[in-house]
Amino acid sequence: MTAKGTEQSKPSLTDKLLGMRDWVDSRLPIMTAYRKHMSEYYAPKNFNIWYLFGVFSMVVLVIQLLTGIWLTMNYTPSAEDAFASVEYIMRDVDYGWILRYMHSTGASAFFFVIYVHMFRGMMYGSYKKPRELIWIFGMAIYLVLMAEGFLGYVLPWGQMSYWGANVIVSLFGAIPVIGDDLLVWIRGDYLISGATLNRFFALHVVALPIVLIALVVLHILALHEVGSNNPDGVEIKDNKNADGIPVDSVPFHPYYTIYHDVPGIMVFLFAFCAVLFFAPEMGGYFLEIANFQEANPLKTPEHVPPVWYYTPFYSMLRSVTYPLFGIDAKFWGMLVMFGAIAILFVLPWLDKSPVRSMRYKGKYSRVALLVFVVAFLILGVLGTQTVSPAKTLLAQIMTLAYFCYFFAMPWYTKIEKASEPPQRLTGRFITIPQLVGVLFLLTILVAVPLMLTNSAHAAEASKVPLQHVDTDFKDKESLQRGMATYMNYCAGCHELGYARYSRTADDINIPHEVMAANVIFDDTLIGDLIENSMDPENAKAWFGAAPPDLTLIGRVRSPAWLYTYMKSFYEDPSRPLGANNTLYANVGMPNVLVNLQGLVSCDDHGTNDPTRCELTRVEGTGSLDELEFDSVIADLVNFLYYIGEPSRSRRQEIGVWVLAFLALMIVLTTLIGREFGKDYH
Amino acid sequence: MSDDSANVGRRKFLVGSTSAAAAVGAAGALVPFVGSWNPSAKAKAAGAPVRIDIGQLQVGEMLGPIPAWRGKPIFVVKRGEALIAALNEDPERLTDPNSDEPEQPDYARNETRSRRPDLMVLVGLCPHLFCSPTPHIELKAQSFDEDWRGGFFCPCHGSRFDLAGRVYSGSPSSRNMEVPPHSFESDDILVVGIDEEVSA
Repeated sequence: MTAKGTEQSKPSLTDKLLGMRDWVDSRLPIMTAYRKHMSEYYAPKNFNIWYLFGVFSMVVLVIQLLTGIWLTMNYTPSAEDAFASVEYIMRDVDYGWILRYMHSTGASAFFFVIYVHMFRGMMYGSYKKPRELIWIFGMAIYLVLMAEGFLGYVLPWGQMSYWGANVIVSLFGAIPVIGDDLLVWIRGDYLISGATLNRFFALHVVALPIVLIALVVLHILALHEVGSNNPDGVEIKDNKNADGIPVDSVPFHPYYTIYHDVPGIMVFLFAFCAVLFFAPEMGGYFLEIANFQEANPLKTPEHVPPVWYYTPFYSMLRSVTYPLFGIDAKFWGMLVMFGAIAILFVLPWLDKSPVRSMRYKGKYSRVALLVFVVAFLILGVLGTQTVSPAKTLLAQIMTLAYFCYFFAMPWYTKIEKASEPPQRLTGRFITIPQLVGVLFLLTILVAVPLMLTNSAHAAEASKVPLQHVDTDFKDKESLQRGMATYMNYCAGCHELGYARYSRTADDINIPHEVMAANVIFDDTLIGDLIENSMDPENAKAWFGAAPPDLTLIGRVRSPAWLYTYMKSFYEDPSRPLGANNTLYANVGMPNVLVNLQGLVSCDDHGTNDPTRCELTRVEGTGSLDELEFDSVIADLVNFLYYIGEPSRSRRQEIGVWVLAFLALMIVLTTLIGREFGKDYH
Repeated sequence: MSDDSANVGRRKFLVGSTSAAAAVGAAGALVPFVGSWNPSAKAKAAGAPVRIDIGQLQVGEMLGPIPAWRGKPIFVVKRGEALIAALNEDPERLTDPNSDEPEQPDYARNETRSRRPDLMVLVGLCPHLFCSPTPHIELKAQSFDEDWRGGFFCPCHGSRFDLAGRVYSGSPSSRNMEVPPHSFESDDILVVGIDEEVSA
């Protein structure tokens, strides 16, 4: 208390800050805005976890904006350099791989939270009067997000980028009369090319983000004008106390922001980081495997599914197979696909029910919503698979179900018997048995039709079984032996053109001098990329195709595939290079390891089919016995798998710490929420 | 009342520990964004030490600015007896004759500012505003200096340096030219960018 005297003469830091705030406030209404949107924005007190997904989408938006800005600092938007610049970010830029994985995981996370957020709106009738504009702005956000995701997916300039862009852009060619010219105009070329890439880049990083942010602002302004809906769908403003504050409400800040949203955000970040650090490819659904190969306008990958968040609409597009009124099916498919999104915009006017929330709507609405969700999920799964007649039929039925949900809505919401909503909020939650029941029903409804169509189109699995091989990045000696084998037998033809000698040496514990003395034989420097001097034009003449760069082969092919492939060569004098392969029939590559493995002959039982070969090693040939050879190949595979993603072990090491930290944050923020939340009950 | 005070203590503890943890988390989240601005492996490779063959360099000649290191011109001058003798004739004319400012590695902080007395290695940039000075190695009068003792003249703003890269008083630059880290792999091979002798 000794400071009291000085306090009076000298304003404290808090007073100074308050003074600054007031200075600004008298010139810009920051406090008014703070009260309107935070401390005196009264939200219904019965929000449940569905209501977290709006704020999650804000978190993801911030992640995407920040990481996106940072990625542009090293990305090169040109057809020649885009692919290499992404690998440059993944390998050469400090922490570049984190930024890139944050952005790629963020894209999928964005759609996931938006889909849940939209479903919540549909379930609780948040689109109904007076919230139509909120819904429309939200749908516009979704539409922009789809465009943003599509444009962004083109930028890495991999095979999926290229062919995905090719398919989607070609849709515009289906528009009668102007289609073909429109197509050329969109691409700026006669094919998807560098010109297309550059304009997509500009749209992705400048134009659409501005639109997106503007729409988000409008979405929130419109929401804060009319107030939030809630699980009961009851208008809280109908019940106000003497001060004009809704009785069943709590101030948005700090009650929801700090006590509910922050712990929720921590849980969300935990899941986000779990994917980011431990499964950034998410089994090929978040980062598609074919996209680890550079775009090649002359060769379509075997299977071109879109990323998972577009697959429901992609299924609808594919399911339309009949021409109508003399216009081909492609056009109608496109119409159905865009129609499926467009119809969402008019949802507020299709729902004629007197109540908002599914809690008080009748049976028809509930069944319809269930059918809608099932149809959407089935279409989504189908969109990731190749077509078969049975699957196409299922997709057609589900497309019909999807549209029925909307077209029949004015009818079933009118005739069904809705129950009377309560006057006040109930604060009830779904019970555990109810939740389990719903999830079980949903799983059955989605899984059974899919399984039925799957069995109708039985597995066309590879005839050559893959042999398992263990990979271990901690085993530096294995990696060293693998690299030695690579440099001796592979490097003459196949570059590792995205990896550098120095970094590889550091990662696998080879001193720089040793690497320079034993691996580099020209004036290449230790910091350079592992390129070879083979002229691609010559290589094409010698082998029919230039030997591919193998830096990323460990991501394109599984270790088991690589292991099996390198053990499946055999002598075949009928082939131009004297060798063939059972796993990769008629491969255009000589058997470079023949001196180690020895001669292998094939007995195809007269089928002339390399995949049916029974391989026999000719005794007495080859410098290694079978076990030794297997271990050489295992080391080589280990090395290739390592160099496909050199940051893999570091990623997992950092991931453990990040997840441990977030677990702690979940505990702390939950305790804070509980402790301070008491003030409001 | 005792409940309240327990509550206050608990609240203080929770807010304090969560704030501390959040600060750690925020700092951690900044790491990739800050770290990615460091020179990449590509930039580091491009900025790696360069080997320069000085076997053909004659007394009174300069190699440069062609062998650049980290994008900066490197001047290598071979000085004979006369040029070395001319260096410290009149230290009064120099701003920093004893190389007191840290513009050179310790091993070059001597009378000739060099590792080998005959061989001067300099970053060929004027410390004033980083133009590249022109070499004028002969001991003869110049338009910019009647009593020229060999050295470098910056065409941009007229800074003058002697053959050890030391700036003459009255120049816009107040600092000597930088001596880069360098070493000798052999008599004929100079390595710029690395301090220690490389054992062959």
